[in-house]
Amino acid sequence: MSEGDAREEFLAEAQEIIEGLSRDLLLLDQADKEGRDDPELINEVFRGVHTLKGIAGMFGYHQLGAVTHALEDLLDDLRLGRVSLTQNVLDVLFEGVENFQRLLTEDPDGPPVDLEAYAAAIDLVQAPAPLARETLEDYALDSSVLSVLTEYEEHRLRTNIEQGVTLFRLLVRFSLATIDSSLEELKTRAKPLAEIITYLPSMGGGGGEDIDLEVLLASRASLGELRSALGSQGEQLSEVRRHTTAPSQLPPAPSIPAVASVPSRPTSAPPPGPPIASERPHAPTSAPGPMDEEDAAPLAKDAPGDPLSLRSVASTVRVDIRKLDHLMNVVGELALVRSALGNLREKLRQHADEREITRELHRVGRTFERHLSELQDGILDVRMVPLGQVFDKLARIIRQVAREHEKEVQLVVTGAETEVDKLIVEELSDPLMHIIRNAIDHGIESPKMRELGGKPALGTLALNAYPKGSHVVIEIEDDGAGMSIERLVETAVRRGLMSHAEAEELTNEEVLALIFLPGFTTRSAITDISGRGVGMDVVKTNISRLGGIIDIHSEHGSGTKLTITLPVTLAIISALLVRVAGRPFAIPITAVQEAILLVPTMVRTVEGREVVTVRDTTLPLCRLDELFGLGTPNRKKRSFVVVTALANRRLGLVVDELEGQQDIVIKALGRSLSRVPGFSGATDLGDERVALVLDAAGLLEELLATTEWRRAGDARLAEGVRHD
Amino acid sequence: MPAEIEPENAPQSVRDVLSFTLADETYALPLESIHEILKTPPITPVPRAPADVLGIISVRGRITTVLDLRLRLHLAHEPASARARVLLVDSGVELLGLLVDAVQQVHRLNPDEVELSNMVSGELADYVVGIGRPGARRMAERDATSTEELLILLDPAALLRRVV
Repeated sequence: MSEGDAREEFLAEAQEIIEGLSRDLLLLDQADKEGRDDPELINEVFRGVHTLKGIAGMFGYHQLGAVTHALEDLLDDLRLGRVSLTQNVLDVLFEGVENFQRLLTEDPDGPPVDLEAYAAAIDLVQAPAPLARETLEDYALDSSVLSVLTEYEEHRLRTNIEQGVTLFRLLVRFSLATIDSSLEELKTRAKPLAEIITYLPSMGGGGGEDIDLEVLLASRASLGELRSALGSQGEQLSEVRRHTTAPSQLPPAPSIPAVASVPSRPTSAPPPGPPIASERPHAPTSAPGPMDEEDAAPLAKDAPGDPLSLRSVASTVRVDIRKLDHLMNVVGELALVRSALGNLREKLRQHADEREITRELHRVGRTFERHLSELQDGILDVRMVPLGQVFDKLARIIRQVAREHEKEVQLVVTGAETEVDKLIVEELSDPLMHIIRNAIDHGIESPKMRELGGKPALGTLALNAYPKGSHVVIEIEDDGAGMSIERLVETAVRRGLMSHAEAEELTNEEVLALIFLPGFTTRSAITDISGRGVGMDVVKTNISRLGGIIDIHSEHGSGTKLTITLPVTLAIISALLVRVAGRPFAIPITAVQEAILLVPTMVRTVEGREVVTVRDTTLPLCRLDELFGLGTPNRKKRSFVVVTALANRRLGLVVDELEGQQDIVIKALGRSLSRVPGFSGATDLGDERVALVLDAAGLLEELLATTEWRRAGDARLAEGVRHD
Repeated sequence: MPAEIEPENAPQSVRDVLSFTLADETYALPLESIHEILKTPPITPVPRAPADVLGIISVRGRITTVLDLRLRLHLAHEPASARARVLLVDSGVELLGLLVDAVQQVHRLNPDEVELSNMVSGELADYVVGIGRPGARRMAERDATSTEELLILLDPAALLRRVV
């Protein structure tokens, strides 16, 4: 592996860890708001930061290393209860994640990371919390047990006692060969009811084949409940009572021999840097495998007695998306080979004496085709990632923006598992981020305002994603103030975009669509968070570039909903090949609803525009030969209407011939043609033929917007939309 | 293509150019700016593209824009003949194809055979760096007034600048 590769690998891994951290912190934030404490999550975050520190050191990211180190100390204090979790502490943790991100990407636009300021912020929250030093001596716990508890375990023990949770002691005997799975099973069974504080091996039992463990649990359940939950493993369960009550009920002490082989550790020892895994002091040398780390447990299964495995836990590989692009191109070339083979077969068929070999070639061709489409599906599948990847990033932004603006916002996400092409996910983050900033800034009101308006103080921002055919729909909905139609109209008139009379003719939907025009802002509402030089017009352009469409729906007073409809992938698509004035064009099949024969008598003219009625709805027509200025249109010839539809917009494209459906690899047009509207790329059809691929979303936008505005009588707006 | 030229320790000022014809005039581009010469493949026109864009072709799977060099130089458009060729030239941003009437030959121009002149005026002046007179010395002995071997030397950077 070259150094560059290794660095890539590091960046990818670090990115993954940071995303995980971000997720866990959000969960932690939520738990904190609901008044729960979740020690396992803090541990998870601690582990993540620790791993990040390790790899940052390995790759010479010293700044990153320094931040992780400082944060690790704070997290250690947190999990040991020396610092309690507050919103301020969470702020520092979130800031840490932001800093990691910035250090990794070395974002030139972002402000430089002020490490000293950050270290100071950490110090500020790290001031030790007063420790409730309730003695553990009241409990019938063997001092030899207490003396080997790690600081963390002791903290958990104390916390549980403080909260009045009952302690239980469980004795189990596991076979050395299966200890990992048995322990895992025990954890799973206990989890719904109890927290396992520690488990200590005892050397006594089993003659080398077995191992006895003493497990200390804390649970609010009764002895009976817990015992039945633990099943066969729960036979030796007893309650640990306070000395003052019934010390006689303790299980006989001799069955829990002191763990003499384990070096005892003063409980006051400062927390060491190493990860949790190595911190547990009680793993005896005879213990098989790393029984102390849950994650490591499955590793040791195949090889008991092997304390360390170098085998990677995950069976996944990270791949540069460009490599997949390249593979996709190869598939495209193979598709051309396939059609060339088809042509050869046709030629061969002319020769009567070659019938046998023609048949054979046909068979081979079919097999080739099948495998090729499997290959293609496989590559497409690999490119798919869940939208949750971008949602997680947004959740972080939401929390930050909401706190900056003293608004209370809860995020509700559905459909995070919906999968979309990696490239699309990447391109989505900026537009989504902008929409969300807008929603918090302009949409959701301050808690006070909300209460005055009879709404809950806590605003809700919903991110919903769901697949719809070969598209994915993403909705961003807030329950905020919504948009005022009057104010939008007023702004449009003031900016000279239209007259009052013209504005009167617009439907509410058309008025709302005004926000997508370049430079359109309701001045009074602009602030610096959403006004970072990008407006909704940029959002729309970015979405269109992905072949998507954005729609807005807003009710003044009750909220705004933006709906984005996107194709699932851009790499390879099924297309309908058509001919216009003898030239081939490809229309993505995802945008095609149906194709019908155009009977000239069907065509009517409404407001200067040709329409046909299809299934009782009026469909506006666009004659592609006219739009593209291709020759003199011959109205007498037979032609077809390809009904294209995206979101709730429909348009009939009039073409001369339908050539059939074909899988195509879309290739970008050169920069010199990037301003030409109506095409999303071109595709090689083989035989030196190149067909332009129609940008259905763009055409719908262009043609429908134009007529809408034309109807409203304003050519300037139409210009704005066309050149958007 | 460059392989046809023998590498030599020629002084910097000696330049190799490829000459081609457009509307009965002979033009030339620096040889090193030309990546490839293609027999004109079927060109797919792009509706609503700028006027001098003829369309697109696929060069080994890569979509390449082809410009009509006649229109670029404000000459009358004519349908491509069988001798027409597409020169692939790097614009710095992308490879572009330039359609020419016919490709002639490679000339090696000595410094005294190049006239860095501004005798061309108008819009063409932007694209022209000078006039080449290959074999000027040889020709001077015979007929100095002959215009047969006049090469209008084009600047590829200027030629392609306005495209992108």
